[in-house]
Amino acid sequence: MTAALEISGLAKTFGDKVAVDHVDLVVPQGSFYGLVGQNGAGKTTTLSMAVGLLRPDSGTARIFGDDVWAAPARAKQLVGVLPDGLAMPERLTGREVLTYLGLLRGLAKEVVAERADELLAVLELDDAEKTLVIEYSTGMRKKIGLATALLHGPRLLVLDEPFEAVDPVSAATIKTILRGFVAGGGSIVLSSHVMALVEQLCDHVGVIDRGRVAAAGPIDEVRGAATLEDRFVELVGADSGDAKGLSWL
Amino acid sequence: MAVAMTLVRMKIAILRHSTKGQRGGMMASGGVLGLLLAAGTIYLAFLGGDWLAAAYAVWMLGWIIGPVFSGGGDETLRPEFFAPLGLPAPRLASGLLVSAFVGVAPVISLIALAGLLFAATPGNVLVAVPAMVLQLAVFVLLSKVAVAVLGIALRSRVGAIGAGVINGAVLAFLGQAWVFAVAFGQGGQIPSFVRYLPSGWGLLAVQGDYLALLAMAVLIVLLLAAWAALLTRRTGANRPSTRGRRPMRAATAREAVVAKELRTWSRDLVRTHQLTFALAYGVFFAAAPLALGWTGMLPWAAPIFIVMAAAMTSNSYGTDGTALWLTLMTPGASDVRGRQRAWLVTVGPVAVLLAVAFTLVTDGPWALILASVTALLGGAAGLVPLISVYALVPGTDPQRRGGNPLRTSEDDGALTGLAYLMMALVALSGAPALVAALLYGWWGVVAGAATGALCYWGFGLLAERRLAAQGPELLHMMRTGRRPQRGGMAFKLPDLPKAQRTIVMICWSFGAIPLIPQGIVAAAFLANDRLRMSWFLATYMPPGLRWPTAALMILIGLTMYGVGLWIPYRAKKRPPVYD
Repeated sequence: MTAALEISGLAKTFGDKVAVDHVDLVVPQGSFYGLVGQNGAGKTTTLSMAVGLLRPDSGTARIFGDDVWAAPARAKQLVGVLPDGLAMPERLTGREVLTYLGLLRGLAKEVVAERADELLAVLELDDAEKTLVIEYSTGMRKKIGLATALLHGPRLLVLDEPFEAVDPVSAATIKTILRGFVAGGGSIVLSSHVMALVEQLCDHVGVIDRGRVAAAGPIDEVRGAATLEDRFVELVGADSGDAKGLSWL
Repeated sequence: MAVAMTLVRMKIAILRHSTKGQRGGMMASGGVLGLLLAAGTIYLAFLGGDWLAAAYAVWMLGWIIGPVFSGGGDETLRPEFFAPLGLPAPRLASGLLVSAFVGVAPVISLIALAGLLFAATPGNVLVAVPAMVLQLAVFVLLSKVAVAVLGIALRSRVGAIGAGVINGAVLAFLGQAWVFAVAFGQGGQIPSFVRYLPSGWGLLAVQGDYLALLAMAVLIVLLLAAWAALLTRRTGANRPSTRGRRPMRAATAREAVVAKELRTWSRDLVRTHQLTFALAYGVFFAAAPLALGWTGMLPWAAPIFIVMAAAMTSNSYGTDGTALWLTLMTPGASDVRGRQRAWLVTVGPVAVLLAVAFTLVTDGPWALILASVTALLGGAAGLVPLISVYALVPGTDPQRRGGNPLRTSEDDGALTGLAYLMMALVALSGAPALVAALLYGWWGVVAGAATGALCYWGFGLLAERRLAAQGPELLHMMRTGRRPQRGGMAFKLPDLPKAQRTIVMICWSFGAIPLIPQGIVAAAFLANDRLRMSWFLATYMPPGLRWPTAALMILIGLTMYGVGLWIPYRAKKRPPVYD
């Protein structure tokens, strides 16, 4: 079976800094894949290259077999993306963002209206009907971002830090949506540095360290007998044992 | 004083980091230009009359109005940085004031103020030193207060429109200063009130009126208090606007882009301000000669408005920041065409209304005005997306702009350069139709419609292709806020020797003067048999030399732009030398 996402040999250098160093990852169809790594390990850069938002120096990314860079139109139709910290059309309301994007995706006007209604209700954004996105809180921005990723009915979701700054109640809603998406045959890749979250949600995990894949595969294989957190610390080589305390506290 | 010294050290450290690379180049060329102006000002100290007072008035206006165009003035140290420290507002304001004296612009202004040393009456030379410092403090503080007031004005629609009208009027009248010089004075005389503006107080002091020193000190204290009060109001987000919203009725991808753009136009107060400014500038610039009873310039308000509106919107993609990712994720939908249509819908009706109304008032010249309006509208609607993808200046994402809404980009020098470039290019796009109208009357309108449609279609197509080919690079540029160091994808000066860089800057800055007013506009006057027009040289020439003079001016202007483009082009072709 074709992989939902197949990354092979992706590499990116910024100036002198090697951000991503020939990363290979395979996200099987129907899997819930967690990408973990320290800040600056290259998660966001890898995901950006995988969905066509950042041009790689070398390597390829295929979404259900379609090359993101050679056949972008088909590949991009199958994927929904939630990038971290990028702007939206800020002067639109949540509903207007969804209408705008749905039409850009080529959906019929009525379909867009129905889906927007449902997304806004489920994500509890319908109270903010008159609020422009620029006035949204960080958590609300994540939710409207997720709504734009889900709107066109993609088969693969690529989510960069989807739970950051999201309150526990909204997080539970999002988890339910994501689990339902996977149960329905969809595939998800999400990046996070919260190990507990990845252990709770994902069935596959990839550990990125300094631009390389340190370990990847089904989560039970990667963590073995230890917890994911202990295994992660072991893999990235940071020694948690003698972390320095602060001298004045 | 401890706060002030810390802030000064911080600013020096930041400036030292930013003198490298391209911003350093911009700073250097700006500095050279400033030095030339300062030298010119000092020269005026040796002339009699009120020339020096008039020059200082222009410097003062520059300090007040400049930040509106260069993205909110010097924001190296932002008040928001220090909000968590809980400093009392007056201490923070005085600290920021002291640090505001560190920089290229204050040093150059101080050099210009050295003219006071030469203008001092015998025995008052020593007075000139405190007068220079106080005068500079007045300039800097006026600038800071103006930016703060504008920042607060831009939080409400009424404020944004009001500020746009005032800024447009002031700048237009400054551009038309000769009209008022003629209207007030008796030819070549500076009206005497100029001496009593705050910009002239230093001059009064060195001429023996010591009270002026005291007056400056009082003014400084008042401005400082006002600024401190405004700073406390600046922090905090914009007031949320929760008016009723009209539902989006778009049904196709292109309509959706138009709807998005039109909503952004009407809801973003910075854009409201820019458009009002362009409109006010056009109207006041064209109406100023009415003070002399001359109505001939009035119908040109519409073309001026179009050119100005294009210049103000020249960084269309940059101001939207990283929202570009949505465009990249939907490759089939045409963002460029939607933006073009929205630009036309926003600017077009106002421009046409203005053109028709004012041309009715003056009863012509219909062909000239309609030809240039059609040509310029099409040209601008094509050039705006084209320039904004080819010469993108990375913007600050709208949600991260903080307390200064004018600050749409960190790279304010490039933003100003882009606006000038746009003005010149849009004006050029109207030139063929204008010439056709001058020579063949109504055929000019046909020519205007043809070139306008061609520019709209062709430049839009080029912009679309560029966006498709370089979209990820543009997004990356906006994500990092920096242009890539190499690759030559953006509009940037390659590393040129200083002398060449100065030539390029001078060509770009001043090429428009011979080309447009002295060339094209003068030709328009000649065609209408309007002679001895203010500063249009060709209209003063003996009959046989009039047309050659105008033609020569156009040639000089084109040559300047040619040289300005050719030098960097040649340098880019050469392989870079690493040492």
